[in-house]
Amino acid sequence: MSSGFGKPNEWRRSMALGGQMLTPAFLIVSAVAALGLILSLWREYAGLGAASGMNDGYSWGLYKNFNVTTLTALGSGGYALGMLVYVFDRRKYHVLMRTALLVSILSYSAGMVSLGVDVGRPWNFIWMGIPWVWNMDSVLFEVALCMTAYVMIALDLENLGPLLERLEGKQFPKLVNEMAHLAFRVVKAVYPFFVALAFILPSMHQSSLGSLMYQAGHRVHPVWQTPMLPLLYLLMAWVIGLAFVVVVLEASCAIWKLPMDWKLLSGIARISGFLGVAWFVIRLGEVWYRGVLGKAFQGDLFTGVFLAEMLMVLIPSVMLASPGISETPRKAFNLLMILCVGGMLYRYTPTTIAFMPGENYSYFPSVIEVLMSLGFIALAVIGYLYTVKRFPILPVPMQLYLRTAEPAVCVKEQIA
Amino acid sequence: MKPEKQDVQPEKQGVNRRGMFRILQAGAAAAVIVPKAQARVAEDQIRYAPKGAYAMLYDTTLCIGCKACVTACNEANQLRPDPGYSKYINNIYEAPPSLNSQTKNIIKLYKNKENTEWSFVKQQCMHCVDPSCVQACPLSALSKGAFGVVAWNGNQCIGCRCCQLACPFNIPKFEWTAVNPKIVKCEFCSHLLAVGKKPACTSVCPRGAVIFGTRDDLLAEAKKRIAGAPGKYFDNRVYGEKEGGGTQVLYLSHVPFTKIGLPELGEEANAAKVRTNSETIYQGGITPLVIYGALLGVTRYFFKEHVKEAEEESAQTGLKEQL
Amino acid sequence: MPQSLTPASDNPVTRSLSPGIDRRSFFKAVLQIAASVGLSAVVANQMAEAAVRGKKPVVIWLHFQDCTGCTESLLRTTQPGLAELVLDLISLDYHETIMAAAGHQAEQALQASMKANAGKYILVVEGSIPTANNGNFIRIAGKTGVNMLKEVAEHAGLVIAVGSCASWGGLPSAEPNPTGAVGAHEILKGTKVINLPGCPANPNIFLATALQYATLGTLPELDSDNRPKFAYGRLIHDHCPRRAHFDAGRFAQQFGDEGHRLGYCLYKLGCKGPATHANCSTNHFCEVVDAWPIGIGAPCFGCTEKKLAFRMPMFQTVDIDRPRPPEFYPSMTAKYSSVSAVATGVVGVIAGAAAAGAFKLSKKVNDKPESEPASDKPSDGGK
Repeated sequence: MSSGFGKPNEWRRSMALGGQMLTPAFLIVSAVAALGLILSLWREYAGLGAASGMNDGYSWGLYKNFNVTTLTALGSGGYALGMLVYVFDRRKYHVLMRTALLVSILSYSAGMVSLGVDVGRPWNFIWMGIPWVWNMDSVLFEVALCMTAYVMIALDLENLGPLLERLEGKQFPKLVNEMAHLAFRVVKAVYPFFVALAFILPSMHQSSLGSLMYQAGHRVHPVWQTPMLPLLYLLMAWVIGLAFVVVVLEASCAIWKLPMDWKLLSGIARISGFLGVAWFVIRLGEVWYRGVLGKAFQGDLFTGVFLAEMLMVLIPSVMLASPGISETPRKAFNLLMILCVGGMLYRYTPTTIAFMPGENYSYFPSVIEVLMSLGFIALAVIGYLYTVKRFPILPVPMQLYLRTAEPAVCVKEQIA
Repeated sequence: MKPEKQDVQPEKQGVNRRGMFRILQAGAAAAVIVPKAQARVAEDQIRYAPKGAYAMLYDTTLCIGCKACVTACNEANQLRPDPGYSKYINNIYEAPPSLNSQTKNIIKLYKNKENTEWSFVKQQCMHCVDPSCVQACPLSALSKGAFGVVAWNGNQCIGCRCCQLACPFNIPKFEWTAVNPKIVKCEFCSHLLAVGKKPACTSVCPRGAVIFGTRDDLLAEAKKRIAGAPGKYFDNRVYGEKEGGGTQVLYLSHVPFTKIGLPELGEEANAAKVRTNSETIYQGGITPLVIYGALLGVTRYFFKEHVKEAEEESAQTGLKEQL
Repeated sequence: MPQSLTPASDNPVTRSLSPGIDRRSFFKAVLQIAASVGLSAVVANQMAEAAVRGKKPVVIWLHFQDCTGCTESLLRTTQPGLAELVLDLISLDYHETIMAAAGHQAEQALQASMKANAGKYILVVEGSIPTANNGNFIRIAGKTGVNMLKEVAEHAGLVIAVGSCASWGGLPSAEPNPTGAVGAHEILKGTKVINLPGCPANPNIFLATALQYATLGTLPELDSDNRPKFAYGRLIHDHCPRRAHFDAGRFAQQFGDEGHRLGYCLYKLGCKGPATHANCSTNHFCEVVDAWPIGIGAPCFGCTEKKLAFRMPMFQTVDIDRPRPPEFYPSMTAKYSSVSAVATGVVGVIAGAAAAGAFKLSKKVNDKPESEPASDKPSDGGK
């Protein structure tokens, strides 16, 4: 093999996997998604109360607290990795960007669908177009606006690359090729403006998701309730956003038996670990500084949750941050998943577990709610399975790319 | 944030090129994410009750639990009676278990385990001076109107229920079973105020346990009652004068306020705390703009570098560059 | 066949009235009295038997500062009627209003009865006793009220204060109380005085108490104000015929309004029923239906309660005296929703499946990516 293309498993280019779409796994996921959508219709017909375990105390259920608050953090990889590449100039990670951005747009889109199902009077969204009814004090308004803008404008544009590349393929008419090429040049010209937007908007709404719970005041357990919630939420989005990109890539390599550039991935895993440790230190310091550390150790449910989320972040983070991780992809995979679960638990806890509306209200998601929530996640999985097979998303080594993807593109033969 | 970022730089490539952006990076990161650790409310975020703000004063020592106010409220607001507990026995009683989408006003009973201490309590919207629900509502469906009444406008409500999340008193209720769900809460009988009448609950109360007036008058009345019987009322304090930034429904109680569902909130409105926190981060929208500018500068620079590299590689391999 | 009972031959009151009542209706009268105040059937029967055997209570009735309303209501009770009452049920040896004798003759009757029945007779006090100006606001047979009461009470077997005035001062003791009026028990310190407050007191309560003492020699159970519990143990409010209106929040807002005409609750008009211990609501006066204040649309003014009648403004609403609040109010801490077992199971299954899938996936992760050459074609495998 040529040394000019790097090592045999060094990722250099993104490539569509191709292959059959309707695999058994795809069909199962589709069934789950279809069930979720059918139940969404039922929710529109029967009202939110019939479709969820929400009540007047716990007015936000899985739709917002899990599918939006928690899962968009998991999908913050595109934004965190983008910052790494374009702001902190870790250019070598650029090859991972397409996967990260795809995960981001899918997780955010699923979140938006969930949000659409969750609101009770969606027709009044027309007022979003009329600035004088905007409540500039409202945290939720800021979240909604930033999230919509991020998904509709910034993420869409960032994800145009693979689409345009496909449209330039030989199977399309020449006119389409030319249009796509023109569009590519336009996108390239405006790219930095939108990338910068794609950094500032998630920074705003990922931190504001924390502010949302800060609004709940005394109704959130004091161990979790802090003015620092925006910072901790944002930091956690970075930690698990990066971690999840690695998880997705490792899993994709395992599933489709692709060569894995672990040298590259372990770098991200380590950064995620360092950020996780930083998060842990800030969180612990913050809880200690406010003098509520004792309330975290009163031997109740909250002690368990606090310990679970702290340890599930600390232990994997420390192990991931150690240099030895570059030798053990499988261990890292497990640690990253634990880190993701711990981080998701932290993002979810203030919204529901540590949320105490009083009067003995209690909440547990209903079956329909769980199935709908799962259906929205399945939608994102369908999107992922389809896109990586039909669009150049997943990173592969140059040799593999040259052997399998559109040989006509290779103008200059470089193979030894 | 800065030190952690530095820790994760495994290779020291392009140090010089990055050097000039060091300060910018650190500054941008710090400004975005480090709010003031202290939840002090900024002076300009404190709100005060409007002049002549309407108010109610409720006194637990006078309330006899007759529930005349509950029925009157339902009639005045044309709410369907909620059979509540009695729904299994012919729906004959109106017995809501708590405030809900059919109940804007309720009388509840607090009783300790030994049955030695008890009190009735009337629950309805507190009409906060600085309401969390109004602060939280994204499209201004909830607003503080004339005389400080917190009212709901169904034409602008998207049904996000953020008001329910934010309300420290757990007041706004949602029609969970409706296709066109509404947010239901006491609106001070605005329709009666408009024709010069008092809110229904205050006009039927047989003992004047809940009375209507301007906030200033009722505060004076409450303090007069406390001065007239020191020790009769818990803490010799009017709940709502300062709690949570002040409310327009005031409470006098002979049992601790927390026992009758009134949380100890401190003198700062939570809405003001949230605004202060957000304002500290955003500085009126200047921070995001400045950071966007900074990010744009850095990104454009590194993107150009990246494109140069990519184009070189493209020329070398003959492969199209990938964004 | 009517059978005449032996009248008290030396009774000046009974002598002036026509004798004669059949045994059956006498028995019935006693039973009615006993039953009307809620005594048990056994006790009522014992009382009736004893009364039939002629054990009639000897009663000496003293009047002080009163309106004679208590006497009037006693005389107007129909079950028993006036004749049965004074001829057969009690032996009323001295009563300034209804005795035929007057002047010295009356005083002699008093002294004679006191001597003859020393230690056994029942002293009934009606009206409050003036204490100001050495008690000179009242003088009977040359004696002040205080002295007369003390003298008669000395040999009495039982002292009963009938009406609010005798019980705790009543109307004459209202502010500014110029006569220094007090109740009987404040003069007779150390003597047990049974208080039967009421303005007027319900005659059945008096009869039942007097008969029980005379026939069984026992006293009814008393509360802290020495009121018999059988009559004063419960609140007017607890058995008020208008209670349903109270519970529904329907109140007469002012006298003569729509609600008042419809018989709504009178609480807002100042009804003291919720704090007044009496049996008026179940034992109407003189067997006339609805002959009691609330029955005719007037708020109860709390005559049996020292702290209410003539003390608290008539139209002011009263605190509700209820040692145990009812249970039908929503609690501060009601339970609203519960965790469904199915939902828990579904969440558990999903979490389990996710964990198992993740574990299985981690087994597939290539642990030696550097050493393995890239495969020729990407696999098409699913999860």
